[in-house]
Amino acid sequence: MNYRKIAHYLGIILLTEAALMLLPVAIGLIYHEKATASFLITIGILAAVGWLFYNRKPHKNNIYSKEGYIIVAAAWLLMSAFGALPMFISEAIPNYMDAFFETVSGFTTTGSTILTEIESLPRCVLFWRSFTHFIGGMGILVFVLAVMPRSEGSSIHIMKAEVPGPVVGKLVSKVTVTARILYGIYIGMTVLLIILLKIVGFPVFDSIVTAFGTAGTGGFAIMNNSIEGYCNPAAEVIISVFMMLFGLNFNLYYLILIKQWRSALKDEEMRWYFGIIAAATFIITLDLTVMRHPFSESIRYAFFQVTSIISTTGFTSTDYDMWPSITKAVLLMLMYIGGCTGSTGGGLKVQRIAVLVKNSIRSIRKAANPRRVETIKINGRTLDEGIVSGITGHFAMYMILVAFSIVIVALDGYDLTTTLSAVSACINNVGPGFALVGPAGNFSDFSYLSKIVLSFNMLAGRLELIPMLMLFSKIGISND
Amino acid sequence: MYIIIVGQGKFGSTMTAQLCNESHDIVVVDINSDKVTNMVEQYDVMGICGNGSTVDVLREAGADKAKLLIATTGSDELNILCCTFAKKLGTEYTIARVRNPIYATQGQFLREKIGINMIVNPEYETANEISRIIRFPSVSSLDSFARGKVEIARVAIHADNPLCNMKVADVRKKIRANVIICAVQRSGAVTIPDGNFELQAEDSINITGTRSEISSFLKQTGVYKHRIKNVMIIGGGKIGFYLSELLSDTSRNITLIDSNLKKCHELTDELSDVTVVYGDGTDQDILEEQNIEKQDALVALTGIDEENIIVSLYAESRNVEKVIAKVDRHSYSILNDIGVETLVSPQIVASNLVTRYVRALENSVDNSQIQTLYKLVGGKIEAAEFLVPENWAHDTETFRELDLRPNLLIGCIIRNGRIIFPNGDDCIKGRDSIIVINAGKSLKKLTDIFRVG
Repeated sequence: MNYRKIAHYLGIILLTEAALMLLPVAIGLIYHEKATASFLITIGILAAVGWLFYNRKPHKNNIYSKEGYIIVAAAWLLMSAFGALPMFISEAIPNYMDAFFETVSGFTTTGSTILTEIESLPRCVLFWRSFTHFIGGMGILVFVLAVMPRSEGSSIHIMKAEVPGPVVGKLVSKVTVTARILYGIYIGMTVLLIILLKIVGFPVFDSIVTAFGTAGTGGFAIMNNSIEGYCNPAAEVIISVFMMLFGLNFNLYYLILIKQWRSALKDEEMRWYFGIIAAATFIITLDLTVMRHPFSESIRYAFFQVTSIISTTGFTSTDYDMWPSITKAVLLMLMYIGGCTGSTGGGLKVQRIAVLVKNSIRSIRKAANPRRVETIKINGRTLDEGIVSGITGHFAMYMILVAFSIVIVALDGYDLTTTLSAVSACINNVGPGFALVGPAGNFSDFSYLSKIVLSFNMLAGRLELIPMLMLFSKIGISND
Repeated sequence: MYIIIVGQGKFGSTMTAQLCNESHDIVVVDINSDKVTNMVEQYDVMGICGNGSTVDVLREAGADKAKLLIATTGSDELNILCCTFAKKLGTEYTIARVRNPIYATQGQFLREKIGINMIVNPEYETANEISRIIRFPSVSSLDSFARGKVEIARVAIHADNPLCNMKVADVRKKIRANVIICAVQRSGAVTIPDGNFELQAEDSINITGTRSEISSFLKQTGVYKHRIKNVMIIGGGKIGFYLSELLSDTSRNITLIDSNLKKCHELTDELSDVTVVYGDGTDQDILEEQNIEKQDALVALTGIDEENIIVSLYAESRNVEKVIAKVDRHSYSILNDIGVETLVSPQIVASNLVTRYVRALENSVDNSQIQTLYKLVGGKIEAAEFLVPENWAHDTETFRELDLRPNLLIGCIIRNGRIIFPNGDDCIKGRDSIIVINAGKSLKKLTDIFRVG
């Protein structure tokens, strides 16, 4: 393995993180906060470590699949480890393990928090906490690719490892340009959301951090009661729509930009996605209306919660833990479905679900008529059998990891709903779960072991399992 | 530049690698999805799987906005069809690989009426290159600049050569010939030497100069070889056929060996001055029987690289003066070190031609000034001829004052038809032609010769 090249890349990423941390410093200076110093210390550490790594000039420039995965996994771990430092140093979160959990939750756009009291934290820490969502949403390595002057052919291995979804297509022939287009769309939509939130009456700071949380499909809010705390129905609708949009494949926005409306509208994954949202919203609205909520309120709450969970954002506009079981079951299912391929959302991804469903139907047909030959089509194109088996394999791996994690987290002795939903919320990068980890609760009471397992789940979920599992497996450590 | 490359066989993938290296926007198309995946993972290109001769696939590849399309599928007809479609869809320039000699003669019609801008026949170009080497046997390869005024030649130095253990600075004092040593290849690594560089036995050097100066240099160093009269060609494929044709015009004795009787008959019909021998040319006994010792040159052109290399090594051991082997798998870097003096690869020859065409296109776009470009030593070194613009700002600064990039050398300056071999006191003036030898990142425009930053 090309260790030097890996170190070189990690150096670039740490230096980039140092540069990005200048933004919270600026916020701290604006609000004259003492916590700013903790960011400056962290920048110093990051710059020093990053520079050491960066100076490991590689002998060979070649990186292959394996190096790509290792770089991505190691980068996310290191970024979270260093990103936790400001919160720890400024004593906003006095326990390093908690700070690490919070940062992992930020970068992986999960939004699970260990904080009970959020509103009193320094503004610069709050900004950084939400900014990690924004960085993690599109991925820091894609960002690095976007700012790199010239990409090598092998950088596709990095992009593949970081961008979610079974098949990663480039928009244009160059990786660098593709990354720039993705970030362009991402930033453009975020700015639009900031402006809209400002118009409906959010304070500037709040609209910025809320937009970060929405864009990355993260879910950290700076109110203890999440979006509910603002009591602003117009903002709730705007945020729901944007959560839904950030859960869509960004390639579609590119198609719209280059005026290929028709192929964008025909996208099969998008149709599944909207179909699932509509069905889930319908069921929950019906259920809430039956439970004697006014209809307009029901549909607003339902739409907000459905888009929030399926895009794996995890904002809440009401305490859905009080809702009846059927709605919670629907929400749990949505957690696992997640956003679309190439979006900022987590979960299994709609396309995988579509393929899994089609594959199941095919299996039944095949059982009835064993000689039957049938291929699985997405967007009218036959999907390679290798990809189909990759998707079923991914699903199996996902479920095995969920099962093991539940057993370990259950050691803490909480009820099964809490345990199961905590693992589900973390691995799918949603944020809040049910019962003790529901909208009204948080993750602070878990043991260190559980927090480590949940952090691992968040990273594994965000990076689609393989990078993290490879880093901690024999393959990742061995030198060949 | 937006380039579509259809077909990712040996030639297509070599082309992709070369053009990708020059940071063009490339879309590759192939019907085989494995090949596409492989290219996309190896190079920074976009891949499309499908038949490149259908309008849908071409449209998906962006033929309407592409500047250039290169069709390199295995079939001539498909390539021509593909170029025709692309042209109608709006691609500005098209290049087709056409190998069948029957079509090759219709080049003018294809160019003028069908609108295919360039037709490449890798086998013919390879034969042409080999025939040039055989006509000037003292060197292992030869490329020309400034309409043949200046040439760049590669020569291997053996232990009996007076240049051994000589410093580059002393070479010009001791040997009275106006040439510049512009690159030295030693055990796989290539250096652009400065004055203190010491030459050693088994180095391979590239020299620039006029043909007569190079000849005189070679005579003084004892590597000059006499005219080649007896040539043995192993393998009667397309290259073998073209080569025999190209060489048979003068009084040479050509022996062509092929192991297919039917082909031998065809070849005898087509080539009247050539001795066609039926037999396995890789068999030592047959080589001996055909009098390999008396040959001045042997060209190994069978379809199998390993056989070509073994035959060549055997020929060298039998003291054949000039040995040339064809290799298709040129990516193995050890090939330059195994002892065969001259290796020729059809893909490299053809892709060099196309790259040169692409550069010329780019020049016409950005007004940059590259006239000719060669890739030497397996692509590790580039020799480019630049035309200096009239308003060149640095025309009073001598080379001593100019801050040139490392690993770069000005091979010579051609001013008003006169050739100048520059030293530190010379300077570049407007309307000069200069030849730049460069081992670093590709040069795109003349100002790239300066150190960055």
